[in-house]
Amino acid sequence: MLGARDGSLTGMRRLVAAAMARDLTVFVVPGSDIAREHGLDVAAAGLRPVASPRHASVLLVVGDLPAELRAAASVVYAQMMRPRALLVLGAADRAPLPAADVAGALSQQGLIDSVTRLRHCFREGAFREDAADFTAPALQTRVEYTCPMHPEVVSDQPGSCPKCGMTLVPREAAAGSGHSGHDAHSSADDTGSRKTPDQAHMGHNHAKQAHTEQTEYTCPMHPEVVSEEPGSCPKCGMDLVPAENKHNNHSGMDHGAMDHDSMNHGNASFMSMVDVTKDLPRSGDELQMDWMKVAFGPFFPGLPGGLMLTFTLDGDTVAEASVHGLAREADFPTPNKIDAAGFADRLAGLEQLVPVAYRLLACRATEDAAGTTVSTRTAQGRIGALERERVVSHLGWLALTGQQSGFIWLAERAATLQAQVRSANVAEIANLKPAVERLIDRIRGTGLQRARLAGLGRLAPHSDLRGPVSRASAGTEDARNDDGISPALGFVPICRDGGDALSRMLVRLDEIAQSLALIAAAGAIELPEPEGTTDATGHGTATVETPRGVARMDVALEHGKVVNARVDAPSTPHLALAATLCRQHELGDALTIIGSLDISPWETRL
Amino acid sequence: MGDEIVSSVLVLISLGVAVYLVAVLEAWSVGGRFRLAGPAYAALSLIGRESILPRKSDRLFFEAGPVLLLMAALLSVAVIPLSPDLIIVDLATGALFLNAALAYVLVALIMAGWGPNGAYGMVAGWRFLGQFIAYAMLIVMPITAVAMRAESLATTAIVTSQEALWNIVYQPLGFVLFVVAGMGLTFLPPFDLPIAKGDLAGGVEAEYSGARLAVLRLGRMVLIVAVAGATVTFYLGGWLGPVFPPWVWNAGKILAVSAAMLLSGRYMPRVREARYLAICWKLGVPLALVNIFLVGVIALVVPI
Repeated sequence: MLGARDGSLTGMRRLVAAAMARDLTVFVVPGSDIAREHGLDVAAAGLRPVASPRHASVLLVVGDLPAELRAAASVVYAQMMRPRALLVLGAADRAPLPAADVAGALSQQGLIDSVTRLRHCFREGAFREDAADFTAPALQTRVEYTCPMHPEVVSDQPGSCPKCGMTLVPREAAAGSGHSGHDAHSSADDTGSRKTPDQAHMGHNHAKQAHTEQTEYTCPMHPEVVSEEPGSCPKCGMDLVPAENKHNNHSGMDHGAMDHDSMNHGNASFMSMVDVTKDLPRSGDELQMDWMKVAFGPFFPGLPGGLMLTFTLDGDTVAEASVHGLAREADFPTPNKIDAAGFADRLAGLEQLVPVAYRLLACRATEDAAGTTVSTRTAQGRIGALERERVVSHLGWLALTGQQSGFIWLAERAATLQAQVRSANVAEIANLKPAVERLIDRIRGTGLQRARLAGLGRLAPHSDLRGPVSRASAGTEDARNDDGISPALGFVPICRDGGDALSRMLVRLDEIAQSLALIAAAGAIELPEPEGTTDATGHGTATVETPRGVARMDVALEHGKVVNARVDAPSTPHLALAATLCRQHELGDALTIIGSLDISPWETRL
Repeated sequence: MGDEIVSSVLVLISLGVAVYLVAVLEAWSVGGRFRLAGPAYAALSLIGRESILPRKSDRLFFEAGPVLLLMAALLSVAVIPLSPDLIIVDLATGALFLNAALAYVLVALIMAGWGPNGAYGMVAGWRFLGQFIAYAMLIVMPITAVAMRAESLATTAIVTSQEALWNIVYQPLGFVLFVVAGMGLTFLPPFDLPIAKGDLAGGVEAEYSGARLAVLRLGRMVLIVAVAGATVTFYLGGWLGPVFPPWVWNAGKILAVSAAMLLSGRYMPRVREARYLAICWKLGVPLALVNIFLVGVIALVVPI
């Protein structure tokens, strides 16, 4: 096993290794929601999911990840305690992660088989004399030398300062820049710190965090001291603390990402909290607190997997938030190589969360370009598939909400039903209907859940809003009105006017019930395949009401091949909204608000 | 003297068994699987795993937090009687001592949250301070009413005072308030802010690993047993009960209360500390005063 712990496998260690093999804890990358979308039940396979990489013995990578997430996953792997194992399901490219200890197919059976092999790995290889080390590229640091008096003097070699002749002191500098440091967990370190001798050997590779973006460093006592490099203050000798760059300087002050620890060492004199915080901007609650920048993603247990979220916290109030999804443009191959069916497959493969909706979008757009119309029967079967996916998606959202709010029963029940509906046919869905309706009633009747969501993240009606988010804010737009089939099956848009997180949940609950009725009315579930697009040339547009809102596509066909495509995905406007919406909210409420928007970070922008 | 040592050893052994069973229940309530051997495997693998000191940690706090939590919980167990003779120290001020010992839970969690110099832990530690301000009065005030009836702070006297009628019937209001506060104190769901997974990726526990994490979790399990034991002692008549020997009654009640506290959290979403504060101070504290008043009146008028 690659992540074995140092030591020979004898005596007591053999017993411990056997216990480890029976108690595998797992950290799921990119997230348990993605695992559920692929039909994986991690707990049923005998793995115990945990929230922190420090508690996990297995890192489970589900499906292909974009490069950005692979880099973050390698940081998570580095943060795990040895013995640790890497389990990869259905992914070809995994650099910079190390070689997988066990690789398997992306299915529940693949997972179960892999777990058996993992147990064997731990039993036989948890301890090894020649245990290897792993350092994530994003965490690599180099040592550079700087003058204690002149922080601008930086050298790769030890020596003396050309300005004052003092001996240069070593310090660490992160090698990487860019986004490599967006790890799932703000590990307990900050950037550019100095290793004290007694900690240097214990920290290994686990406890480092790279620069997330260009930061500058300032002295907590002397705000006029600003340096591009970490170091100590020329006036008082204190460690400089990182401060955010002044890119949008609305408050006229840097939001120092001041870490509480930066203040209590490096200087023997007493540091007053009042002094330290007196120049910081005040947040809505008028309390002056430490400001710190904390990553909540891309693998945060209570948020959609892959969502990059960074909060600047003022105490536990969110002062600033930055949210972004995955930049997926680069992943898409030049479209003119593929025909319509291949295009639909490719798009569905990229949209892990709602493959059917995007497959339908590609079908409708290419068929529109080719000028073909499908039979009512096929169209109804497609509606059935789309509505089933809506039920699955909303149940998945409920499971994630339960996971975020510690509502364990909800998380388990919704996940179970999600797995059952996922591959059910019309008759099976009719059988599951009573159970789903009981779940809906139960959630509606849980006062604490309503109280938790009521009044949070209120949104005024706005044309940028889409899907359930829009319809919870008195919007009436729903692309299913115009698809020519759904209204005949009894569809009417479900609208509420509360505009808060509670209304969004209630809209989704109603939509689950309605979608079940629509599936019954459609009477068939048929996976969309493009029809009559061979050798066609032309321009087409289409809209589909995905579970998160309307998605639009423009497509150009030339002799049956897709030459140009443009997708307008529903999460894009919501991503932009999320940051403003959670500002000045308490941390937990801010997470609830972001969760209530049901953002998919995976949506492609073409 | 010899008897005292024997009874202390017996109490500690039964504590060990109770802690193990509570750990089984906890794993069941969180993971949904009942595995009798689960905690043994989990403990062994935690001990075998690396336990690192995060860089730039406050080492003293980081190391001391889990140990202090365990110590505070063990101290509070010391005054809980398993039967009239099975008690580690039968202090005349037992109920007060219990309060004092449990106060260190706050200190331990703030230390453990601050120590690793990580944002999740630190926010979680300070959130527990908010939670402490909510539950603290509701631990003390119901105990006051219990002591009023017993006319003693000794835990054994409190149990014997319930011979005619258990306090859960005599002062049901106090029981409800004490349980709600006790669940906040043991940070059980829905008051599990300090170790919230979906909110803070494990919070205080997020940076702990290996043996240190094992101590932190053990401390919490002992704490759950201690609070369940206190609930049984104060409201459910401790060892009192027919037919079976006293310790059987007590152990059964403690396990039942632990299970009820652990499993009820599954069916509720987490309660924010601001909301918990509002509930405790706007509703809980007035009700606790009403409870004290009612118990005072009943104690004067009806001598049971």
